[in-house]
Amino acid sequence: MACGSTSLWAGETSWFCCGNAWGPCTGAGGGACGNCQSSANHGAWPNASQACWDITRPDLCGENIPRRGCGSVMNVKHQCSGATVCITITDCGPRTKEWCGEASCCNGQCRTNRVLDLTPAAYSALGDLSSGMLPVYIYE
Amino acid sequence: MTAHQTGSGGIDRRRLLARAALGGATIVGATALGGIDADAAFAAQQPSLDPAISKSEFVEGRITAISGSVLEVAGSYGDRSRVQMTNATSVWKVRPTTAKVIEVGDGLYARGVKMPDGTVAADAVWVNIVNIHTTIRGIEKQRLHLAHGSHEITGNVIGDTSAAYAGRAPTSDLSRLRIGQSAQVLGAWRPSDNSVDVVRISVGH
Repeated sequence: MACGSTSLWAGETSWFCCGNAWGPCTGAGGGACGNCQSSANHGAWPNASQACWDITRPDLCGENIPRRGCGSVMNVKHQCSGATVCITITDCGPRTKEWCGEASCCNGQCRTNRVLDLTPAAYSALGDLSSGMLPVYIYE
Repeated sequence: MTAHQTGSGGIDRRRLLARAALGGATIVGATALGGIDADAAFAAQQPSLDPAISKSEFVEGRITAISGSVLEVAGSYGDRSRVQMTNATSVWKVRPTTAKVIEVGDGLYARGVKMPDGTVAADAVWVNIVNIHTTIRGIEKQRLHLAHGSHEITGNVIGDTSAAYAGRAPTSDLSRLRIGQSAQVLGAWRPSDNSVDVVRISVGH
């Protein structure tokens, strides 16, 4: 499935590890969809399923994010640099409700609320892993 | 930002990397190109049209050997990679640093350009970096006790440790951390004792 250019959402993205891994990520497992890998361009979406939504509750931050299940494809673009990566949803996350109001900014413009988690492979295509958080636009 | 620009008159960092690697660059560590910013490195990539195709190469795994400026890496799925460090490679291990601190046994994420011989000329290398969702189980002056899934992790408080509260700017004041809070920990894993040096701990509301 190809990545599209229709605007879907915007917000912050963080990164996480999944699948076979080293260090504290050992035993992280394949995520909610069972096939998540840190070294692949994968992501976690807060509304991958109803059970997922019940955990992440982005609505508590005013983010009524639409349902996109396992295998959905999204194009993620850094708000300022324009760097992009095409990802496949393979997990549920982040727990948006725990970070309501948190903002990531660049060039004086901010995106609020964690709405996406990326694997290290995907996140590093957009920016520096040590930043921990980036403002992004999401397309499908 | 840094040396990376694309377009007319700019420096195409990916070409620079390729040239550095193909030219047999053996300098490891401090760059001769000025400041290196991993954020900027691939900033002008165009979107791939297929999710299975990645523009840049990514390497993940444990370092099994260091041969001059080449890191031998065993991937977590049994694959093996060779990562070429160049003048233009940025290195993070707890903080921005040089390749001199990289050791056999370290965990690694690397981003770069694949060379004709299969070696990846690294643009950026992150050593032992982790970014994990935890729950704070205990607080001591020099360490935090953290739960990550079903695992217990010791978080070492180091000189660089900062805390971000409810999305505010990071501060060196850790006094507002509370047992039971959910916390995102960005840090560096220590292979020797499986603990994590906490670089930044973020707690929400």
